[in-house]
Amino acid sequence: MTTRSIPRIAARREAAIAWLFILPSLIGFLAFFAIPSFRGLIMSFTNWDLFRPAKFIGLANYIKLFGDKDFLHALRVTVYYVLLNIPLQTVLALGLAVMMDRFTKSTLVRGILVLPWLLPNIVVALIWLWLLDPTMGFLNQIIMGLGFERQPFLGSVSQAMPTIAGINIWRHAGYTAILLYAGLQTIPKDVYEAAAIDGANEQQMFFGITLPLLRPVLVFVLVTTIIGSFQIFDTISMTTKGGPVDATRVIYWYIYEYAFVRFKMGYATTLAVALFTILITVTIIQMRYFKADTSDLD
Amino acid sequence: MNASRRDTQRILAWIGFGLIIFVTLFPVYWVVRTSFSSPKEIYVQTSNVFPAGFTVNNFKRVLGMFSSEEAVAQGGTANGIDFANALRNSLIVSTLLVVGQTLFSAMAAYAFARLRFWGRDQVFFLYLTAMMIPGVITLIPNFVLVRDLKLLDTFLGIVAPGFLMTPFTVFFLRQFFLGINHELEEAARLDGASIPMIFWQVVVPLSVPALSTLAILQFIGSWNDYLWPFLVGKDESVRVLTVALAIFRQQTPQGAPDWGGLMAGTTLSLIPTLFIFLLFGRRAVNAIQFTGFR
Amino acid sequence: MRSRINALALALFVVTSMLLAACGGAAAPAAEPTAAPAAEEPTAAPAAEEPAAPVTEGVTIRYGLWDGNQQPAYEACAAKFQEANPGITVKVEQAGWGDYWNGVQTGMVSGTAPDVFTNHLAKYPEFAAKEQLVDLQPFIERDGVDTKQYLPGLADLWGRDGKTYGLPKDWDTIAVVYNQDMLDKAGVTVEELNNAEWNAQDGGSFGQIIKKLTLDANGKNALDADFDKTNVVQYGFIPGGGGGAYGQTQWSHWAVSNGFKFNDGLYATKYYYDDPKLAETIQWYANLNLVDGVAPTLADIKSLGANALFTGAKGALTTDGSWMIGSYVKDSTFKVGFARLPKGPEGRKSMFNGLADSIWVGSQHQEESWQWLKFASSPECENIVGSYGVVFPAIQSGVDAALAAYEAKGVDVSAFTLQATEANGTFLFPVTDYASEIGPIMDAIMDSIMLGEKSAVDGLKEGNDQVNALFQ
Repeated sequence: MTTRSIPRIAARREAAIAWLFILPSLIGFLAFFAIPSFRGLIMSFTNWDLFRPAKFIGLANYIKLFGDKDFLHALRVTVYYVLLNIPLQTVLALGLAVMMDRFTKSTLVRGILVLPWLLPNIVVALIWLWLLDPTMGFLNQIIMGLGFERQPFLGSVSQAMPTIAGINIWRHAGYTAILLYAGLQTIPKDVYEAAAIDGANEQQMFFGITLPLLRPVLVFVLVTTIIGSFQIFDTISMTTKGGPVDATRVIYWYIYEYAFVRFKMGYATTLAVALFTILITVTIIQMRYFKADTSDLD
Repeated sequence: MNASRRDTQRILAWIGFGLIIFVTLFPVYWVVRTSFSSPKEIYVQTSNVFPAGFTVNNFKRVLGMFSSEEAVAQGGTANGIDFANALRNSLIVSTLLVVGQTLFSAMAAYAFARLRFWGRDQVFFLYLTAMMIPGVITLIPNFVLVRDLKLLDTFLGIVAPGFLMTPFTVFFLRQFFLGINHELEEAARLDGASIPMIFWQVVVPLSVPALSTLAILQFIGSWNDYLWPFLVGKDESVRVLTVALAIFRQQTPQGAPDWGGLMAGTTLSLIPTLFIFLLFGRRAVNAIQFTGFR
Repeated sequence: MRSRINALALALFVVTSMLLAACGGAAAPAAEPTAAPAAEEPTAAPAAEEPAAPVTEGVTIRYGLWDGNQQPAYEACAAKFQEANPGITVKVEQAGWGDYWNGVQTGMVSGTAPDVFTNHLAKYPEFAAKEQLVDLQPFIERDGVDTKQYLPGLADLWGRDGKTYGLPKDWDTIAVVYNQDMLDKAGVTVEELNNAEWNAQDGGSFGQIIKKLTLDANGKNALDADFDKTNVVQYGFIPGGGGGAYGQTQWSHWAVSNGFKFNDGLYATKYYYDDPKLAETIQWYANLNLVDGVAPTLADIKSLGANALFTGAKGALTTDGSWMIGSYVKDSTFKVGFARLPKGPEGRKSMFNGLADSIWVGSQHQEESWQWLKFASSPECENIVGSYGVVFPAIQSGVDAALAAYEAKGVDVSAFTLQATEANGTFLFPVTDYASEIGPIMDAIMDSIMLGEKSAVDGLKEGNDQVNALFQ
């Protein structure tokens, strides 16, 4: 009898302590993650302006969403940004990572590369706003010095988005390169040696060994950077504020405008739910497509 | 022959590195250069590589060492940025957040990793699903919640959403705790140590590298955060650095920004980051590499 | 398998409980205590009984404004006010235009808005509709404030349905700003400028002056056949930008002097943005850059601000509001002057706009707020503000003080004052509902016309449809 109840008491005590350990995080989880998610969902069925009581309006916001040309435009602009940002950034980072792997293990080099990522988006945006100024920016001084016409960059409908993408590549390429570099360190060197003995050239090794073995890390990097880039906000809020005209009015900026400029919380949360749905779909497709959890190393 | 090809490759690679390092560092230099230039000369000497009309007045103005009338007379904006105040606020917010988040997440992670109790896997599963929820969905409800709790323009309001946990931190630390050796904990248990004692005296000391790695990443993240502190903490008493810079930039919507002052503010805001970088650079780089393998 | 089912059951339980909690949550904050019944109090207290303000101790009033140039003037007013009211401290809070309005609005929903704040005609109707502004009428009647002391028309802009939401503190008009050196070099006299005529087809004699003042790198002006518009070193005219819904300093004076009107007056429910008279005006305005090359691009204007382009000697002429006089004089390294707007087909027309202070309903100190507001709109404070020479106060004695201050600085501001006093010289800022929706629509439209993405006719038609749909 007693020999059985001691472990039981101990188990009960362990459970009690465990719950005490979990309690703070559980409160945080419920208050700031779980409940807000559902509250957001519920708000999307109302027309709340924060001033007056919320009114349930059924599916009206969702009906409006499907006829909302500006929403479609915001979506298009966002996807355009992601397409400008991700491929170039990933290729650049991959090139840097391979170069580092081959030629230097210097922490200083990696440190310098990661520096832009340590700076707040706000600061990065300010730096480039100044460098790319249409009239006084240093880059335009160089362009004119080379005998070309100066460029409006953020001031033009066609150049604004590529410029924003460039700014964010500047901030993130080094960081991404270091993630990929770390991935490269896990690939055993003897695989390359074996391939070299078999007479494989460098291209074959890169596409035959490096890329496949790097896949889990690459997928992780892609998933996180794509999700991040769908949520571009800080840079735009600091530079173009959605302009010129509506060339950089991305989805996150559009949501922000509805929520905190026009105070239409109901429709803003509807937009957020839509963005959420899109992000989840993109993530699931990526995971499926790349089979993220399997490495070819096995 | 092979060796000479190696050498050319190496030279090309280092030219590439040099170029990229230049592109990385030059913008930062240009900010510093502009911050020491006089506001009027900035517009004239646009391509001078050195400070145009060297002056430290931008810094003085930004630090509020001139009255608003003097500042306007210099071609700046009336209100400085109260840099010291913003710096203090950023430090308070980031420190609070890192301490709270690391502590409470570690406690939870330990329970998930080591302790046996009913509901463990289910709660952990819920936390995991929360990792999929992007910030955009909780942003507006959290703003409303903080407002209703009357926590707007308080430090507590700014740190609230991440103070008790983030799903990623818990997940990350649970994986880490799962990976460390049981034996020391078992020995302590046999010596009659209680679970909290084991956690504090055995597990935490063993985990200092992982915890500090995480803390650095959280600190950088919190230091760089903009939208949330902008929404809930605009008041001067709690205004963090990023928000202060953004508000300063807004001062002259019709005209050109006070670039001299703005770049002085930016330069000052670089100092803490560079400080972290020099102190923890190696660790930060390792920390990033580490997160690649969660 | 089992653990998965368990997890599902738990998830379901948590979801339902959260759903319930959230339902309660969404409805609860509706009754924000911001709409305190305090707004009624003054009416309850009969005016005759106790005219004196109650004695107050240690109250701080937060006062918001967006124009940093005016901050020193109002700080001086606050100091004076605090001398007379030792129990009240006025804290002046300034933020740039965008952040200012964002702060006021966020403050209103979250209970942290300033007690008294500088209000704008494009903004106040919506605040009033959302019941965020204290009706000042009972206070005005109780204390017998004479609203006739303000320049004619200003006080009326701030009332609706018998309620008053603000007391005027200043007014402004528009005039042409010129660079004296550039005029001299081109041989254009100020008199020529003052007597210039304008039309939307070819810009009239004003258009000729603009061309004469535009120089390319070879020193040829835009009237010259060999003028190279791709290499302009001095622009004849610097537009203030797209101007958005009202074009206050940008195009409203051109458009109205061409016979355009925004709408049918206070709280109209229809805009006339599709008026061909507006379209031809805006096209002329955009073509200054797009076709003639006598004005900088919108990108340049946005990056530097028209003001800085002008003070940086990149152009000879611009149009701007009277509140900017001080900064033109201060920032320019050359001699600056202010000329009359050119005479359009319908004469010279300037927008006449004014700011006023409002009290937020959520203020915990409405009586003290009123005391401050009353002081800020009184001759005493307006004389102080006038003496700083940054704006024209709403009271004549303040205007006189401002004129004296400008004269002391050696600046002739008669272009602005003559415009204000001339018969039919001004039109009022269009005050309607939905301004916060109209603004973004017209901003995008005007910018796209300025950038040459749309023609004025098409763009304005599109904008007009969107704007008027709001009133349906």
